[in-house]
Amino acid sequence: MKSITRCTHHTVRAILASAAGILLLSACGGGEVPPSAFPGITVDGSSAYLASNTIVYKLDVQSAVENWRFPTIPDTANPRGPFSGQPIKFGDTIVVGGSTGANGAYDKHLYGITEASGQEAWRFTPPGDKGREFVDGAVTDGKLIYAPNGDGNLYAIDPAQKENNQPKLIWTFNTTNRLWGKPLLVDGTLYQGALDHKLYAIEAATGKELWRFEASSAPIAAQPTLKDGVLYVGAFDSNFYAVNAKDGSLKWKTVVDGWVWTGASVTSDAVYFGDVRGKLYALDLATGQRNWTYETRDTIKAQPVISGTTMVVVSVDTNVYAFDLKDIRKDATGKVDFNNTKWQNITIGRRMYSTPAIVGDAILIPIFDGDIKVWMLDVNTGSRKNQFPLPPPATPAPGK
Amino acid sequence: MGNIFDILVVNPMTNILLLIYDLLFHNYVLAILVLTIIIRLVTLPLTLKQQVSSMKMAAMQPQIKAIQEKYKNEPQKLSEEMRKVGFNPLGGCLPLLIQFPILIGLYNAITRTLAVTPLSLLELGKHIYGFLPNLSSLVPVDSMFLGFIDLGQPDKLYVIPILVVATTYFSTKLTTPASTDAQTKQTNQMMSMMMPVMFGFFMLSAPAGLGIYWIVSNLIGIGQYFIMKPRLDLAKAEHAASVASSSGSSSSTSVSKPSTPKARIPPPRSKVKPSSSAKIGKPGSDIK
Repeated sequence: MKSITRCTHHTVRAILASAAGILLLSACGGGEVPPSAFPGITVDGSSAYLASNTIVYKLDVQSAVENWRFPTIPDTANPRGPFSGQPIKFGDTIVVGGSTGANGAYDKHLYGITEASGQEAWRFTPPGDKGREFVDGAVTDGKLIYAPNGDGNLYAIDPAQKENNQPKLIWTFNTTNRLWGKPLLVDGTLYQGALDHKLYAIEAATGKELWRFEASSAPIAAQPTLKDGVLYVGAFDSNFYAVNAKDGSLKWKTVVDGWVWTGASVTSDAVYFGDVRGKLYALDLATGQRNWTYETRDTIKAQPVISGTTMVVVSVDTNVYAFDLKDIRKDATGKVDFNNTKWQNITIGRRMYSTPAIVGDAILIPIFDGDIKVWMLDVNTGSRKNQFPLPPPATPAPGK
Repeated sequence: MGNIFDILVVNPMTNILLLIYDLLFHNYVLAILVLTIIIRLVTLPLTLKQQVSSMKMAAMQPQIKAIQEKYKNEPQKLSEEMRKVGFNPLGGCLPLLIQFPILIGLYNAITRTLAVTPLSLLELGKHIYGFLPNLSSLVPVDSMFLGFIDLGQPDKLYVIPILVVATTYFSTKLTTPASTDAQTKQTNQMMSMMMPVMFGFFMLSAPAGLGIYWIVSNLIGIGQYFIMKPRLDLAKAEHAASVASSSGSSSSTSVSKPSTPKARIPPPRSKVKPSSSAKIGKPGSDIK
């Protein structure tokens, strides 16, 4: 009974204090920092470059052996990362952006890492004190690097020229809200979606605005896709838009069920993308009418990837789905049966937010959380080919 | 379980917070302020009940100690006597425990709507009600406060953490009832020091928007305390009178018949009239 007497509000206060303590410990505790940034992977020849949480890796695609990591050892005095988005290759450097940590603190640098050694070659810091995170990486035409930042600016920089000990800033294109998606760069024009609800066309050489599309009443975070002079992009107003790339006029729009954050993949007659409620859509390229839909159990953030007639989609529901685009069986409402996939790898068991990379008959899938950073699956069967990091070598049984 | 909590508590709060943000000229601090006030008002009866109960439990400590001492070898009898004096250990806990999920829900709604990371914005997208299409156009919310504090970032000027420490200290100090029991007193003292320090330390790495919520919540709590203080004093006086009168009426065991002479409680001296709805200070009421 004596112990019960202590259970007035003191106990609850103790619970509250403990909860605060747990939060505190979770924020300050040792060990690996919990992931908060979307990983990204790029394949170049026999190497893959992976930005995963606070480390950038170079891997051998076939063997999944690590060639180097950046930073080599965590530097607590000069912390870098987390890194997010697909790294890009620019000359002899790998370029990757710093992103936002779980508590909102961010690394506002764009890093150039020497491809051969994994050492920092340069870093670019947005001018002034407004710079924020580089969420979705950058794009390049081989001459300049175009990097969208959370401060609402698209920066064009030239690492070949130095200014204040960092790559020279060539031009800045300003929007009124965060840039969390990367631009599409085609024939000297950048197409940039912004959280200020607009899609911009910008001349890559000068940073001059060519047109802006403002049909959306909500942010655009996805990278647009271009096919035959038409841009395809989804927005947070649950609309998917087809916009003429020449002048920014609307061709068609289709209402979907949730926010669209994925980039779209396009074939000769259809456009494919997912939404945050986990639905995958196939729309008619010419009209925007729904060809079919398919429901996964959680958000689709990653762009679907297509190899031949196989389309692979990863979901936050921890499953990987492959569809044979020549053999989609749907019901009268256009819904594809949940089991009607070419294959499903349902044993990944970890969240996937990032667009996979296809190399030959292998698909490399960056994993958001857990010890395994990349799963490599056979694109035809879904079976596992390899993983990164490699599993530890089997310990020989005692006496053998 | 997490999903049920989301559906019942966090999602409605998230959408209401965005609606208020929309109505209040896209001022996120005002939105937090208004939603916190609404929630504190809704939970006011529970807060009131919990504070009165805590106060009563604290005032009962000598009485309870005496019973415990007397019946330390008779658990059955001890339990009976405790019940007789109106001892209800859960009386103080339950209202707070009911409020706890609401406060956690509000905390989650603020974290979610601030959407400081792309991941949290993505999560927000799943929970915005589709039948309120305008809400999607509000994100990401304008997180700048006074032009120099980014509510989505830890406050590098330490203004918010310092205010969190100060308001938590005063709030804890004021709302913790005085106790005559040495051990309880010590626990209270430790809590009133530890809580502000822990929350302040947490705020060094948490988004400043959460600190705004804590500060507002603490200030409302302090305001509530001063508004309710006359009623609490009244209840305390009644309780003291009840104990005193029961002591006088029983020579054998002063603690065995405390609830019977309630009709003889002298009228309270406070000028504040007891509220009939709150049922505090009403002679003969049995607040637990």
